[in-house]
Amino acid sequence: MAARDIALITGGASGIGAATAIRLARRMAVVIADRDLPAAERLAASIKQDGGNAFAIEMDVASGTSVRQAVARISQDIGPVRHLFSNAGINIRQPVEDITPPDWAAMMNTHVRGGFLVAQAVLARMLADRRGGIVFTSSDFAVVGMARGAAYAAAKTALYSLAKSLALECAPFGVRVNAIGPGPIDTPLLRNRPEAEWREATDRFARIVPMRRLGSADEVAACVDFLLSDRASFITGQLLHPNGGQVMW
Amino acid sequence: MGNAALVTGAGSGIGRALCLRLLADGWTVCAVDRDLAGLPDHAGLLRCVGDVRVPSTSTDAAARLLATAGRIDALVTCAAIYHVRPFLDLDEELWDETFAVNTTAGLLAAQAVLPAMRAQGNGAIVLFSSTLARHGQVGGAHYAASKGAVLGLARSLALETAEQGIRVNTVSPGLTDTPQPRGNMTEAQLRARAHDNPLGRIGEVSDMVEAVLFLIDADEASYVTGQDLRVTGGERLF
Repeated sequence: MAARDIALITGGASGIGAATAIRLARRMAVVIADRDLPAAERLAASIKQDGGNAFAIEMDVASGTSVRQAVARISQDIGPVRHLFSNAGINIRQPVEDITPPDWAAMMNTHVRGGFLVAQAVLARMLADRRGGIVFTSSDFAVVGMARGAAYAAAKTALYSLAKSLALECAPFGVRVNAIGPGPIDTPLLRNRPEAEWREATDRFARIVPMRRLGSADEVAACVDFLLSDRASFITGQLLHPNGGQVMW
Repeated sequence: MGNAALVTGAGSGIGRALCLRLLADGWTVCAVDRDLAGLPDHAGLLRCVGDVRVPSTSTDAAARLLATAGRIDALVTCAAIYHVRPFLDLDEELWDETFAVNTTAGLLAAQAVLPAMRAQGNGAIVLFSSTLARHGQVGGAHYAASKGAVLGLARSLALETAEQGIRVNTVSPGLTDTPQPRGNMTEAQLRARAHDNPLGRIGEVSDMVEAVLFLIDADEASYVTGQDLRVTGGERLF
């Protein structure tokens, strides 16, 4: 068990992050990082109960200090991070004219700056060992536009751009970097909308998504699991879309 | 009863490696190619020697697979040809032959398996495209166009079949270590391309096989359809 690889999952306590933690725990130790430490601890306890090896840690990716301290603690107490699933995200939906500079900054800081900070914190060790992999959570909206979602789409596009450059920089070390672009997924991010809005959204997705349904968080986790595995050893710099066919390019 | 797949271009390269892997994993495999001498005998292997340009090749193969396995879970079309030819020297014969094998044969094979997949309410199709579909190549206009057409075909097929539980995706390999590029490149040129690749090598058939296995896995890629999985080592990201 001690020789097991370690995966760090940010935004790991709920939704896609949690599903990925559960799935990756089948083949490695997982560190669940989240702003919501009690939620991360509950998930870690549940994974351990099922025989997995899981740890919880408080991390706010909007803070460089929080990220670096958390990663230092992981390295010291658990071991080097071999795989990173950089997934922490927020969603604010509003018309462009209503986006305030703080809203814009929060979106960019959480998704892009946060992804950059976490990747930077774990990367030196991966490059030194010439072993490891990173997956970022981007979105369908990295390649298509989104009404009332300009900040979100801009952040997710920036994240994909970051992933591609990082992929090129890391490739000589055998470290692969990819992104996933989920379509509409049944997660708290979607469910936490008001009841009427949630119902309207699911009806709309049933109409517009070619597969006529929302995806599950585990269907996204399966893609992350694949990209972080040796089965994807010649795949880097790519954006893999579990999206029911909503966007094709 | 185990899973069943129809694979075209099964006699060599990626198609052959895929067949061997599926057989090892317990699948029943109907292998289609003009020459299947490269595949060893196996209890799960159905040999369909034929030309993928001829519609009856695919319909016969699908019928045999259905008769033997009772179902068709996956179709993977690997058959392709690539004869490098400068644009001004391209003639209709080479253009037509390239499209017949690389593009139209994929349509014919998909048409052959769709009735069974629709009846089952599930199935996965993977058509092989190429990174050259997007990047083009000197002397490869016909090949790039034929592989670009595969992307459009696959996406429309994905839209038409999504409601029936059928998923359709493409794999776009970068330069891969098979007999095919050796018809157009020297070993030194292959080594130079490996050196220039971000991951420092060209693709192995096993890389492409793993991509296909992921995409046809009903559990793993269950929300993935209409996508192009580019297995390139990071070459020419866009």
